[in-house]
Amino acid sequence: MALLRSRASVFLVIACLILVPLFLLIGSSSSGAQELVVYSGRKEIAIKPVIEAFEKKTGIRVALKIGKTGGFINQLIQERRNPQADVFISTTAGAVISILDRGLFYPYVSPAAGSLPDAYKSPDGFWTGISGRARILMYNTQLIKPEEVPRSVFDLTDPKYRGLVAIASTRERTTLGWLSALVDFLGEAEAKAYVEKLRANGLHILPDNTDVRRGVGNGEFALGLTNSPNFYLTQREGSPVGVIFPDQGPGQMGALINPNTVSIVRGAGNLDEAKQFVDFILSPEVAATLVQNAFEIPLHPDVTPGVVQGLGDFSPAAVNQSRLGSLAERTLEIFPDF
Amino acid sequence: MTLETITRRPSRVPTRRYLGAVKWSIPVAVLLVFFLSPLANLLVEAVGIKSPALAALFRSTLPWLILRTLLLALATTLAAVSLGLPLAWFTVRTDVPGRRLWRWLGALPLAIPPYIGALAFLNLLGPGGGVNVLYREATGAPGLIVNLYSFGGTVFVLSLFTYPLVFLFTASALERSHSAFEEVARSLGHRSGEVFWRITFPLLRPSLLAGGLLVFLYVLADFGAVSVLRQQTFTTEIFHLLNTRFDQAAVAALSIILTVITVSVLLAQRWLLGRRSYVQIEGRARPARPNRLGPWRPIAALYPATLMAVSLGLPLLLLLLQIESWPGAAATVLDQAGFLWASVWTAAVAATVGVGIGLFAGYLALRRARQGGAALFWGLQLCYAIPGTVLGLSLILLYNSWLPWVYGTAVMVVIGYTIRFIPQAVQGITGALRQTHHQLEEAARGLGLGALETVRRVVIPLIRPGLLATWVLVFISSMKELAATLLLRPAGFDTLPVRIWIHTIEADYSKASTLALVLVAVSALPLLLVEWRRIT
Repeated sequence: MALLRSRASVFLVIACLILVPLFLLIGSSSSGAQELVVYSGRKEIAIKPVIEAFEKKTGIRVALKIGKTGGFINQLIQERRNPQADVFISTTAGAVISILDRGLFYPYVSPAAGSLPDAYKSPDGFWTGISGRARILMYNTQLIKPEEVPRSVFDLTDPKYRGLVAIASTRERTTLGWLSALVDFLGEAEAKAYVEKLRANGLHILPDNTDVRRGVGNGEFALGLTNSPNFYLTQREGSPVGVIFPDQGPGQMGALINPNTVSIVRGAGNLDEAKQFVDFILSPEVAATLVQNAFEIPLHPDVTPGVVQGLGDFSPAAVNQSRLGSLAERTLEIFPDF
Repeated sequence: MTLETITRRPSRVPTRRYLGAVKWSIPVAVLLVFFLSPLANLLVEAVGIKSPALAALFRSTLPWLILRTLLLALATTLAAVSLGLPLAWFTVRTDVPGRRLWRWLGALPLAIPPYIGALAFLNLLGPGGGVNVLYREATGAPGLIVNLYSFGGTVFVLSLFTYPLVFLFTASALERSHSAFEEVARSLGHRSGEVFWRITFPLLRPSLLAGGLLVFLYVLADFGAVSVLRQQTFTTEIFHLLNTRFDQAAVAALSIILTVITVSVLLAQRWLLGRRSYVQIEGRARPARPNRLGPWRPIAALYPATLMAVSLGLPLLLLLLQIESWPGAAATVLDQAGFLWASVWTAAVAATVGVGIGLFAGYLALRRARQGGAALFWGLQLCYAIPGTVLGLSLILLYNSWLPWVYGTAVMVVIGYTIRFIPQAVQGITGALRQTHHQLEEAARGLGLGALETVRRVVIPLIRPGLLATWVLVFISSMKELAATLLLRPAGFDTLPVRIWIHTIEADYSKASTLALVLVAVSALPLLLVEWRRIT
């Protein structure tokens, strides 16, 4: 029995060791209500340096939560009665636009957004582009010769590319944006016919863009329809990959640009700090950091694109982001199992 | 010998039933509200459904998806049983060389999260993996000889990392049960195989079913490994719907279908278990005399050795090979030690709370079934039906609306683990309790001990190994949890699986593998300690 009692006391001590940090944590997080809470669908590697620079410059502490854009939108919907986040960084404008009617975001037109092209910001300030990613065709140079890579995505239905092409599912908002752009450019019937042909030609639909970039990099697929930073990142790893910005000829669709966007959450507890953060992330210096860290395309005319192809180096698809966003629901109905 | 195997109806305690019902109803009700509120919330959300997405899904792929998911779960369960049961038998009931080593290591693959195992094996068996590269170089032919992105590949990966559930349950049942019947049967001239199928197997049935059930339900709700391996299941479809349409009513409806499936599986388990129960009256079982394998000994050792090499050695080696530099790995570990601590304490609290509640529920279910015990037991089992993401979103809505001071703290993560893994605690503890006879407790009560004293001085010492094993099980499951944690963690609070996920989506496999090895090592530690105590 003495043994049992001594065991019990050991358990108690262990329980205390566990519970004390628990309560400390509760205390610290409730007293830390002054922290600016940022939900970011963009990857940590891209956004963390920006956060650190912001903390250094303003002295405002930031609590960062990294996740997937879609996951955060669900979380923001669930948190609507008592919002927890102040700032939301999305990987596409379309994701924000498609739920604008739920009133989750606070309109803020940042003075820093003045020089941004109109195509990459909401006139009401519900979202503002911070950088862009182009939809490109990435290829494995060991599996396909550069001159054999098609210059247009519409050539991918050719039987000689049968089974060679991979793309992420619509779980990735950037794929959904691309499909919406097709619907916008071609019209519903023609877009549907094209995608059906593409699938009949053995298109591989993978869960996400990391699968596409990994698959093309390691030779599982010859061609991948994905976002421009994926090409630069795979190339930096030493994989044999090349890139085509598709449909660049006159009258062609152009390469779609999905802007990463920043929004302020309606009901944010730290509205002033959130506004400061938005102003900060839209500044040219930060745009330059994002470009360097994550191979993104600067939307700001004053920022040089560096190693990546900038807005002036290729012809972007002429689309209206608000139209793409409002097309999202319809696009999912047209392509239910993409 | 005071051994007695009885085939009888579960025990009944008629005295003071009504008083007891009132006494127990309050904690039972509190626990049911706590554990079932997410499910209730889903029901409420599903009521308001008018979703075109769901209608389309019902028309086209839903039956196919359900069938495919059930097939995957069934195939994985069968594979896990055929891996885990022989290992348990070899290590407990034979003189296979190294039996204590295999007994010690056998459960360790449980510490490897299946999504990490899947990522590791892709480097070997994926289309761009080592085996296919070698094949292409050797033959010059394009194409693949093996592809992990397949139904079979998924069964392979999932069963390798879930078979320990079957192994743990059956090995401890084999240790607890007397070998007297087997010896008698053998002395009557029955062959070893016959003895196994006619004596050992029926005695093992409850623990086999408990382990198999956990594997089956794990696969139903798994998201990580199946999505790494590009398989479409019911759970990935729920996730897809959630992340494309943000249609939570449709998601709630699908989750309820999953709950119905889970209930059917639980009923099937109960039916298979039958009304029979096998208990022993003695406090302690005499260790069985091992079957002599004779000339087959060295060959028999190949089985545990191969299984350990494939399920433990290979994935760890593949993870090690992903690490680019040792100083870099050390820096990563030091840099992220805080996240390790976050994982450890949240998992430890969840395991402790889970075992406490599991003991209460298991005891009530077996000894006070009519006084709320059965309701509690069944209610808690339902928690396994909700995939992590759906549970996370449900908890966000509930706690952010009703208990905002809890929401936004790390306590949410603990609540998430506890709700997700309470079925493991209940199954584990009930399984251990089932093998102790209520007459031992009644004797203690008759000698004047109160109910709590009886539990403390008779029940707990009798099932202490089971309690410890259950604690470790819930701890490890919590250490690995990703889907609900991603949503429930407060901003700035990451756990190890979250860090691994972040590095994986950034394709920084060196960092991801380093942290995965740390996660496996830390999860394995309590398992090794508990199992060490058992074999020494």
